[in-house]
Amino acid sequence: MFEALRGRTTVSSNSVFFAFAALVGSAAAAYAQPGAVTAAGRVIDPSGAPIVGAQVSFEGAPASTTTDRNGWFSLSAPIGTTLVIEHEGDELGLAVVAGSALDDIVLRPLDAGGETIELVGEKPLEAPGAAALDRRELQRVPGTGGDVVQTLRVMPGVTNVEVPIGLSGVPIRGSSPQDSRILVDGFEIPILFHGLAFRSVLPAESIQGIDYLPGGFDVAYGRATSGVVAITTRPGDEKRSVQGELSLLDGGVLAQGAAGKRTRYLAAIRRSTIDLVFPSIMPSDLDIALVTVPNYYDGQLRVDHRLDDHWRLWLSGLGATDTAELYATKDTDQKTKRFYAHTAFARLSAGAAYHAGPWTANLALSGVITRYDFAQGAEQSLKATLPNVTPRIEVIRTLGDVAGLTNVEVRGGVEAQVGRYTADIGTSSEDREGEPPKAYDPHDMSTTYRGEFWVSDFAQWIATAANLDPKIRATLGLRTDELARTGEVLVQPRGQLEMKLAPRWIARLSSGAYRRPPEFQTELLQENLDAERASQHIASLQWDPREGSRVQASAYYTDRTHLITREMDGSLGNAGRGYTVGGELLATHRAGPWFGWLSYTYAHSRRVDHPGDESRLFSYDQPHNLNAAASWKRGRWQLGGRFQLHSGLPYTPATGAVLDNDRNLYIPTYGEPNSARAPLHHQLDLRLDYSWTWGPTALTAFLDVQNVYMNTSPITYAYSYDYSQSTTVTSLPIVPTVGIRGIL
Amino acid sequence: MKALALVLFLVGCAGDLVEPWQLDHDRIIAIRATPPRMPAETTAQLEVLTAREGAATTTRAPDAVAVLSPPSLASTVSGATVTAPSEAQLLAARADLGLAAGAPVPLVLGVTADGFAATKTVWLGEAAANPSLADVQIAGASPTEELVVPVATDIRLSVPAVDGEDNVTWLTSCGTMHDFDLSRAYLRIEPEDPQEGELVLVVRDRRGGVSWRVWKIRGQP
Repeated sequence: MFEALRGRTTVSSNSVFFAFAALVGSAAAAYAQPGAVTAAGRVIDPSGAPIVGAQVSFEGAPASTTTDRNGWFSLSAPIGTTLVIEHEGDELGLAVVAGSALDDIVLRPLDAGGETIELVGEKPLEAPGAAALDRRELQRVPGTGGDVVQTLRVMPGVTNVEVPIGLSGVPIRGSSPQDSRILVDGFEIPILFHGLAFRSVLPAESIQGIDYLPGGFDVAYGRATSGVVAITTRPGDEKRSVQGELSLLDGGVLAQGAAGKRTRYLAAIRRSTIDLVFPSIMPSDLDIALVTVPNYYDGQLRVDHRLDDHWRLWLSGLGATDTAELYATKDTDQKTKRFYAHTAFARLSAGAAYHAGPWTANLALSGVITRYDFAQGAEQSLKATLPNVTPRIEVIRTLGDVAGLTNVEVRGGVEAQVGRYTADIGTSSEDREGEPPKAYDPHDMSTTYRGEFWVSDFAQWIATAANLDPKIRATLGLRTDELARTGEVLVQPRGQLEMKLAPRWIARLSSGAYRRPPEFQTELLQENLDAERASQHIASLQWDPREGSRVQASAYYTDRTHLITREMDGSLGNAGRGYTVGGELLATHRAGPWFGWLSYTYAHSRRVDHPGDESRLFSYDQPHNLNAAASWKRGRWQLGGRFQLHSGLPYTPATGAVLDNDRNLYIPTYGEPNSARAPLHHQLDLRLDYSWTWGPTALTAFLDVQNVYMNTSPITYAYSYDYSQSTTVTSLPIVPTVGIRGIL
Repeated sequence: MKALALVLFLVGCAGDLVEPWQLDHDRIIAIRATPPRMPAETTAQLEVLTAREGAATTTRAPDAVAVLSPPSLASTVSGATVTAPSEAQLLAARADLGLAAGAPVPLVLGVTADGFAATKTVWLGEAAANPSLADVQIAGASPTEELVVPVATDIRLSVPAVDGEDNVTWLTSCGTMHDFDLSRAYLRIEPEDPQEGELVLVVRDRRGGVSWRVWKIRGQP
């Protein structure tokens, strides 16, 4: 009938609480209900699909709550209380509050006597191979340090980069991060990860869910030739609460609640803490002066207001900043040895969602400003300010039965992205995909630009979906983008076919055209560049073998043309082409206290940079990537493990060097691009969570240890100044993260 | 390089790489043309400063020299001697290279020594000298040919050069060099370091001039 947490909750005076208490502030105590905890849990059906809109209450409660789109709820309840879960069409569910984290509550359909289980309440997968990931489920995956966005690394199709230094996005299906889009509440953010990329710019508690679309995505998504990661932030809970989390990496507070019956809010702010300890662990004999220890801040805001039965308004804000300044000498007056990096962005979006009868509309306006400020040595610098505004309108009309087709739906939308960019650049030329690093020359000013320019892009899309047969649904769409700066019009037809082969089997076929505008690195400075192009062809099969289990497999082929590469004269052109072919498997299993995850990817990505060149591997080509994770939750304890095994990434070996006596530089000579590969890597990550209450506060302490058996595989190779010696750059031997999270 | 060292430290890099200031390592350290810029129909001599592991540095003539650019001036080199061509030949070379009238003509040379390769540019059509290293200070004094310095002490080194304009390199085969590429550096020899070796200073200016000096150095407990 139901699975519920069994166990007793005791009051602990663990001293670590005081650190937490200092973090969240004493004012938060005003929200406390003595003797109660904020209990959170999820309501699912026997197949593991979340049940949306289930009512959760208990005797004597002033109000009840309902489950969200992922089946989650949270409410304040005294320890020992029995919760009652009701949902139309399902049997009644009961659960006992024994702590802040409840086990999944399974509701069976009232008429569930047969073997056919209809999946209800789960957001439809929007593309073959796609996955909708829920925050609290993702938090059970070990090896992320509590950062759910890092969980993307376990998704099939995502290249597992062990030390993702400099990575601001997600490399999907063998291509570079810039070929995929990261959306937060529907709008792109320029930076997903802080500094050394151990943390995303969104804390776990402010995320509702992540839609991972490795390819074949809808016409409503554009400007990408690989995949889309769409992150949805979380509306605040009905109950006012303040949460705090502190770990060795960062600490933050989150406040949420309701203002009246129609409005919910959530606000969060976070600051790095690693910069507070970093100077003490840095070797003192390094000739380095850390003027500004690498640090970061981020903040989120979300307000939801239900205007009436038809209109819902929302406001979403996100901002992040990273700063570091160091001198490669102890002498901070020596400007030739200075390195400075500052990135910041802020995005504010507002929208209105309308639904009445067959009509649904989404109206939104979003603005973002991004700032990059880098300096290296006394001469090289890059300053860029990139503000833009994006209005968007999408309308959906369901038509029912039309011309023999059933469940007909028509969608259309328009979007503009208008910005005026300012740049002041004087530095060396950038390294393009597959280009090995150049020798560092502090006087190299081969890339210079100073000025302002407009970037105005417009897009429109229309799509129709209909059932050709009760078991076959087809979607056809067309998207066009106009890039005013280059005058290019991008026409992108896409289509998808979904077939229910049997009650537990669904097949999907997808094919379409995808474009990425030339806007990465200095591509925008050249007005004669075309967009990169991709044709994606995907087939997938989904199987739900039993309650709570799902297996989905995909095979795909992506053909890429107009890849932007460097020409002989140093300018950029569209001479490159390439392809990626691969297969992906994702299996999930939920049963009682167990949660299991298995993903495997086989991929092969090759490209030719110029006609007549030898073909080479993409820099993110990773043939094999296996992730197996399991988590067990009982009472106050949660224990999880994750094993990962993946191919190393390609690299270009240096074969020697010639001294350029005039510049006192060794100019490396390299072998064929990406002709060598780092060896296979495997590691085990473990995570342990323990929850308890302290007075009115629900606390969870966690220990997340990455690479517990300290397997340090080579990632790539570093060379001496004259390239006569090399050394391996290895994965981190072990990364323990400890932290505590509290809800008041 | 130090920023790279920081990153390597952060990511758990294993192994040590030879430092750019380490003399105990096989390589060409610098190539000098005397003079580095020369008027038409004058000559310059090429010398190479090489380092060998476990041995002292040597200043010597290169094993081979070839003109890499422009090909029309391939005959200007003979052995270690560069002879600037006539004004008429320089005029033609300027036209080939798209240079303004009277502009110095870069003669790019490929140089080999001890199995190592390097490039060096000599400028033809105007005169210039290599930089002077007369005012070098070591531990606050003008250095003698053989230096005796205290162990476990920071030995201050300075040369009157402009950081960011001139290219300065301090090298040693004993101890650890700090700020090796700045005009003001310091050397520290610990008791466990080799106590005898060499100290080298190389200065390159922005007009192609190269000078170096070599001292014997010994740590004294």
